[in-house]
Amino acid sequence: MTDITLTVNGEEKTASVPPETTLLKMLREDLNYTGAKLGCDVGDCGACTVLVDGIAVNACLMLAGQAEGKNIETIEGLSTLEEYHPIQKAFEDVASLQCGFCGPGMIMSTKALIDQGEELTRDDIKDALSGNLCRCTGYTKIIEGVIDAYEEITGKKVPETNPRAA
Amino acid sequence: MKHRGKGIGCMWYPIGFTVLANPSAATVKINEDGTATLLTGTVETGQGSLTVLGQIAAEALGVSTDDVHVVSGDTDTTPMDTGAIASRTTYVSGNAIKLAAENARQILFEVAAPMLDVRPDQLEAVDRKIQVKYFPQRCLPIADVALQAQFVMGRPPIGSASYNPPTVGMDPETGQGKPFSTYVYATQCAEIEVDDETGEVEVIYMSAAHDCGTAINPMLVEGQIEGGISMGIGYALQEEMLFDDDGKQINPNLTNYIMPTSLDMPKIDVDIVENFDPTGPFGAKGVGEPTAVPTAAAICNAIHDAVGVRITSLPATAEKVLKAIKELRDGGEQKALPAAE
Repeated sequence: MTDITLTVNGEEKTASVPPETTLLKMLREDLNYTGAKLGCDVGDCGACTVLVDGIAVNACLMLAGQAEGKNIETIEGLSTLEEYHPIQKAFEDVASLQCGFCGPGMIMSTKALIDQGEELTRDDIKDALSGNLCRCTGYTKIIEGVIDAYEEITGKKVPETNPRAA
Repeated sequence: MKHRGKGIGCMWYPIGFTVLANPSAATVKINEDGTATLLTGTVETGQGSLTVLGQIAAEALGVSTDDVHVVSGDTDTTPMDTGAIASRTTYVSGNAIKLAAENARQILFEVAAPMLDVRPDQLEAVDRKIQVKYFPQRCLPIADVALQAQFVMGRPPIGSASYNPPTVGMDPETGQGKPFSTYVYATQCAEIEVDDETGEVEVIYMSAAHDCGTAINPMLVEGQIEGGISMGIGYALQEEMLFDDDGKQINPNLTNYIMPTSLDMPKIDVDIVENFDPTGPFGAKGVGEPTAVPTAAAICNAIHDAVGVRITSLPATAEKVLKAIKELRDGGEQKALPAAE
């Protein structure tokens, strides 16, 4: 067993897990953060996306031991009992999600993207979400939700583009 | 060189099969605070059906959608429903819920009639009130009427109903009959780009015009159509189950069974072509599966428009498209490549 100490959503947590345990398994089964979902378990679907020191990673591909001393953010850290995080609010307002299984991963990928503080285009957003698979929505309303959240949080505008103009 | 092309695909799709029993049942209970509880056996799979069914109940009861608490998909407590299948939920379950809500509302009308000195058939339920038709100032809050019904008249306002699209057997000799209750129609147009050196197809733009009867929740209809288009793009260009000689799937992972990502999605314009179907709840039909039907046809027609080749087996992978382009160049029968634009 390996003892691991890390910060999850601002709280210091410790767990004692076998060395082969993934970060996702430790979060879900030892620390009871079940927001990150177990989808494919091989890094294809992105449902397990969490932020490690601000960078979006597939928690199923990272060993728990590699997270020692790191600062982890999960979907549970975004909203309070009183209000949603602006990304969650934007996703709700435009009905971005349908079954919702991809939602925690989509929202954490979005947070990592917006937190970088760079000017975004529609293509940057599509690129940043390309590691998160969704079978229900066709991504269209998710991209709309990300644009709304970005504009709400940063006050900047995502430029309109016309892909049909050759 | 990249070639642009446009294509159209059309479809019709049946809603509410009638060759077998296809029932849904529902119970609506109006509470003494003017809210309502809806029991339905159908299951929410993310498409927003419970929102739409709650809206149907609210419209029939004259209350807000927020006032309707929906309990669903629990075989211990909810009435029977054939299921969230065949794009039938809004149409069949919606009809059952509308009937159940109307039965509960009828009790409110009968209780309110003597309180307002009119006959029950002179009443309507609007804006959380039971009011006299054409005299909206003569009204009572639904909460007051429900309270009166329960605690004074001894008639709790509960309605149950079921709906089964009338079962019609097919003629065993001719195979003819009326297998479905109603139909929806749609056309999708694709604008694509084909690279004639690699065969790769990129979808640039899709427009989708869908008839779904009355769109009870247009935002959810848009979500269904956009999701259907992504499945259609996967069907047209990417997704293929491959099997070995023993019938074992050789690509059972998302690494090698390729489905669309956000990068594969074009700009989409959705056009909801509303009409009123007299057999549906408030004129609604359905929208689920039909959204994925015409996409692949539109894309394959657009490939033909762009580079003059007909792809007749899906998915139209880069390898297949490139092979067809080469055959055409080597003297195939299809029309020559269009001149460079």
